[in-house]
Amino acid sequence: MSATTTSAATTPATSRAAGTASVLLLIGRLALGGIFLIAAYTKLHFSGAWHLHDYHFFFAMAIDSYHMLPLEVVQLMARFLPWIELALGALLILGVGLRWSALLTSMLLLVFIAAMTRAEMLGLEINCGCFGNNEKLGPATLLRDSTLLLLAVAVTAGAFLAQRSRRQELRPQKLRR
Amino acid sequence: MEIWIYVGWSVRNGGGQQVNRVRLKAMLVATACAGILLGSLPIPAQVKAAGSQAKAPSMDLTALKSAGSRQAPITIEVFADYQCPQCRQFFLTTTQQLMDNYVASGKVYLIHRDFPLNMHSHSHEAALWANAAAEAGQFEAAERALYEKQDDWGATGKVEATLAGALSPADMKKVRTIEATEMGQIDAAIQRDLALGNSRQVNGTPTIFVTHAGQTTPLPAGGVNYPLLKQYLDYLLQQR
Repeated sequence: MSATTTSAATTPATSRAAGTASVLLLIGRLALGGIFLIAAYTKLHFSGAWHLHDYHFFFAMAIDSYHMLPLEVVQLMARFLPWIELALGALLILGVGLRWSALLTSMLLLVFIAAMTRAEMLGLEINCGCFGNNEKLGPATLLRDSTLLLLAVAVTAGAFLAQRSRRQELRPQKLRR
Repeated sequence: MEIWIYVGWSVRNGGGQQVNRVRLKAMLVATACAGILLGSLPIPAQVKAAGSQAKAPSMDLTALKSAGSRQAPITIEVFADYQCPQCRQFFLTTTQQLMDNYVASGKVYLIHRDFPLNMHSHSHEAALWANAAAEAGQFEAAERALYEKQDDWGATGKVEATLAGALSPADMKKVRTIEATEMGQIDAAIQRDLALGNSRQVNGTPTIFVTHAGQTTPLPAGGVNYPLLKQYLDYLLQQR
C-alpha cells in the first residue's frame, strides 16, 4: 500500500493568473491606501500649515454643511475621521488586516457617496470636505469617489479571494490510494 | 549712464588710460554708494499711496463696510453676494450673533467683501447700492434690508426701492447722489474685492476667512453656523 500526496492542481496558466491577480491587488491597495493617506493629510494640513489642534473645527463645518447629522455627532466625526482615514491608509499600504481594512474603506466610501448624492440632489452649494477645505461638491467629486468605491470593492473582493485560495492551499491534502 | 559715457570717452581718447581707469573706478564706487543709499531709504507713505492710486483711482470703502475694532485679535472677512441664499442665511443666523458677542466686545473685526456672482442677475447692482449706502454711512441698514428683502428685489430687480423702504428720505437722497456721481469709483471698489477673492481662490459665497496671529485660513463653504464658529473663535481667543 502506497500513499502519495498531491497539491492542488496548478497549471502554468492558473499560476500566471494568480500572479497577475496578486500584482493587481498590490497596486490597488497601494493606490487606495495612498489616496486615503492624502485625504487624511489634507484634513490636518491646509492653508500652508499643520492644524493638529484645530483641524476638527474646520472639518466639523465641512461635515455640518451636509445638514445630515446632529452637532454632537458632527463634532465626534470631525475629531476622529481623519485619523481613521490615516489608519486605513496605512493598513492598506502595509497589507495588514487587508480584508477588513478594505471592507471598512468600501463601507466608508459608500457612506460618503450617499451623503454627497443627497447633497447634490438637494442642491446644496457646499464643499466636498474630501480633500481639504476648498473643493466644491459636484459631479466631478461624485465621479471620483465612485471610482474610488469601485477600486475599494475590487481590493476587498481580491483580498477575500486571495485569503480563500491560501486556505485551500493549506487545507489537509487528500490521500490517494 | 555716466559710466558708459566715461568708458566711451576713454576709448575715444586712447591715451591716458590709467587716468580714465581711475575715473571709471571712482564713478562705479560713487554709483554703487548712491544706489545703496537710495535703496535703503524708506519710501514715504504718500509716494506709495499715490502710486497705488494711480493704478486704481477709486475710493477704499472697506472700512465703511467693516465693524468693530481694527485692533481686535481676530479678523473675519466675509466674501458675500447679496442675492445668494446662503449669504442671507449666514447673515440672518450668524452675523448678528457674531456682532453682539464678538464684534461689540472688540474680539473680532468683521469685514464685508463684495463678491457678486454672475449667476445672480441683480447682485452686482445690489453691491453698487450697498457701497453707495456705505459711503453715506448707512451700510448696516442697507445690508440688512437687502438680505431681509432678498426674495423681493431678487425677483423684481427693484434694489433701489428696497433701500428706499429701509432708509430715511434724507439718507436715501445722499445714497442716490453718491450712486449717481461716484458709480465708477464704487464699481472699482467692488472689482478690487472680486480680484482679492479670486486671488484667494474664492469659488462661492459666502466664503469666510479668519485671520488670527498673522495666519489667514478659509472656513469651509456652506458649513459656517454660529455654534461651530463660536467654538472656533473661543479656541482662537484662548491661544492669545
